[in-house]
Amino acid sequence: MRAAAWVCLLLPLASAVAITFAGTKISRRAAGYISTLTTMGSFVAAAVAFFTMLGEDAGARGHVTTSWTWLAAGQYHFGFTLLADQLSVLMMLIVSGVGGLIVAYSVGYMDGEDEERRYFAYMSIFVFSMLLLVESGNLLLLLAGWGMVGLSSYLLIGFHHDRPSAIAAAKKAFVMNAIGDATMALALFLLIQHTGRLDYGGVFAASPHGGAVANLIALGLLGGAVAKSAQIPLHTWLPDAMEGPTPVSALIHAATMVTAGVYLIVRTHPLFENAYVIQDLAAGLGAATLLMAGLIALVQVDIKRVIAYSTMSQIGYMFVGAGLGAYPNAMFHLMTHAFFKALLFLAAGIAIHAVVGEQDIRRLAGIGRLMPFTKLVFLIGSLALVGIPPFAGFFSKDSILAAGLDRGWYGILLTALGLVGAFLTGLYAFRLYFIVFTGEPSAFAREHFHAHHGKEGPLSTRWTVGTLALLSVIGGFLQFAPLWHPLSTWLGPVAEPFAEPTNAQEWAISGAAVAVGLAGIAVAWLFYAAKRAPVPSPVRLFEKKFYWDELYDYLWYYPSDLIARGLYALVEKPLIGGSIAVVTGGASLGARELGRAQTGLVRSYALALAGGLAILTVVFLAAR
Amino acid sequence: MHGPEIQWYVVLSALLFATGALGVMLRRSPLIILLSVEIMLNAANLLLIAFSRLHGHEDGQIFAISVMAVAASEVVVGLGLIVALGRRNVELDVDKLRTLRG
Repeated sequence: MRAAAWVCLLLPLASAVAITFAGTKISRRAAGYISTLTTMGSFVAAAVAFFTMLGEDAGARGHVTTSWTWLAAGQYHFGFTLLADQLSVLMMLIVSGVGGLIVAYSVGYMDGEDEERRYFAYMSIFVFSMLLLVESGNLLLLLAGWGMVGLSSYLLIGFHHDRPSAIAAAKKAFVMNAIGDATMALALFLLIQHTGRLDYGGVFAASPHGGAVANLIALGLLGGAVAKSAQIPLHTWLPDAMEGPTPVSALIHAATMVTAGVYLIVRTHPLFENAYVIQDLAAGLGAATLLMAGLIALVQVDIKRVIAYSTMSQIGYMFVGAGLGAYPNAMFHLMTHAFFKALLFLAAGIAIHAVVGEQDIRRLAGIGRLMPFTKLVFLIGSLALVGIPPFAGFFSKDSILAAGLDRGWYGILLTALGLVGAFLTGLYAFRLYFIVFTGEPSAFAREHFHAHHGKEGPLSTRWTVGTLALLSVIGGFLQFAPLWHPLSTWLGPVAEPFAEPTNAQEWAISGAAVAVGLAGIAVAWLFYAAKRAPVPSPVRLFEKKFYWDELYDYLWYYPSDLIARGLYALVEKPLIGGSIAVVTGGASLGARELGRAQTGLVRSYALALAGGLAILTVVFLAAR
Repeated sequence: MHGPEIQWYVVLSALLFATGALGVMLRRSPLIILLSVEIMLNAANLLLIAFSRLHGHEDGQIFAISVMAVAASEVVVGLGLIVALGRRNVELDVDKLRTLRG
């Protein structure tokens, strides 16, 4: 059990180290295979851990191993502690499983790129960091993993380091995540001050109930969660992060890293329950994000950005679930979302590759006719995203919405917003699907389409996408809240939900959500497939992404710029520049004037010597 | 102690020194300037020896011999420079040699 957890954690690290030190001694393809095999090895280890745990008593499934004292400061000792329990083993399975598939896909997708070895080393580092995050047994180690996934995200967004836009996006992501890291660190300081420890059990037992301190702690953790999970107000980095290679978008910015915020809330849910205002705030932010991202996704024209906004929107659902106390439902949606969102990104990657990297959906239009396999898997992914039975999203999303009905007027409000979001999901997902994959191929698509490897991508991309499609179809059957719920039972001892809707509510919400989802699809069909009505011109507010970037420019960029310019004009130029000008001017003037004394006439030098001597003589005589 | 009082030596030395200094400052020929420098050096030597005799110490005399050695070396270098100037057909006038002006 413990060995499995360690193997799962350390295999990707070993892979990253091996690829880095092997350098050009191994071929690019070998680097890809090393990375793939180690990530899949991690998955096997996670599966071993899972099945071992399955045979154990439900109350005794948490395993804590402390290997050594990682950090000692005064009276505080923090160990390098791994925790394997029901929640972390679920995350380990998702991260290493979906991660293994996506790294395998990358072997074919990144074929022919420059610097593939660097790419696979980064991917392995990311998988290691993410596993560290989910396996850590105390909050300090979690923060370390938290920072390291931010670093690997930065490295991979900026993978194409010759593109200025990629570098700018990488920096933006890093800075916004650093804000979240900082608030999390502040929360940890408060916890140390009030409880003196950071291991989960000890912190949960000793942290204050209610009051300003509990609120501040939860708020700090929430800050980290919204930054990592791209929720309002720290969400603006995620769409720009699409500058990274498509498998990176699939793995980091859809399936795993961005859902870490949800994991954090579920993992530290006792701290949030001690500060119910903040937990309600988390749910509210999630609802606001899911609506806003859905509206923005309606007007985006970049295929990856549409999917990115969809990711923000789906994580909004998870935040609603976690904020309302329906932890297993949030984790369930996290899992199914990892399947179908990775599928959508990877399928989009195949389409993008087929037309020399074009991402504009107006130019990609109608490409589905040329790529039947991609069209099919993208349709499966879209249906799962909208939540049409029997695809995965149906089972997980609806149970989150149903949980709202158990939480008073606030929950009902959030459920209503979620249903509006479900309509938007149907609309934007099938706008994308109908434009890109149905109808006549555009002139651009016809001209630039070239079948990769004679088919739709090499074998490694096709089998991984196929596997994810299969998971998107059957993954949801793991749990159907009204009838069977093994996942809730499994997670129960770790994250006991406090929002438990009745079966009648579950059925009602399921019906309503499917109805509005279908309505969204129908509207999309009307506009974009049947073209019965002219497409409305895009709303400027949505196109400008609700002016968040502009707002931050006005709040932070322009004032800092103004202050910097003012300091330059008022302080640097007159004081620093001025003082240097005085020194240099004085030296130059003095040298010029002194230079006059140097006449070149030996006689005048001799006279000066004699004069000096005479003066000295007089002085000495007078002084005596 | 025989011979004149020490004051006479000092006065003579001062006169010699002033003569040399005036020569350095007023004459233009490098050769004469070099001779004037020698006169100044010997004025100093005279004082050294006079005071050495007055105090009964040998240090001053040893110093005078060192000064003579240095003066001889200096004359060698100085005369060498003057000969080099003459060979290049440069006018032997220190006021014309002022390329080191600031």
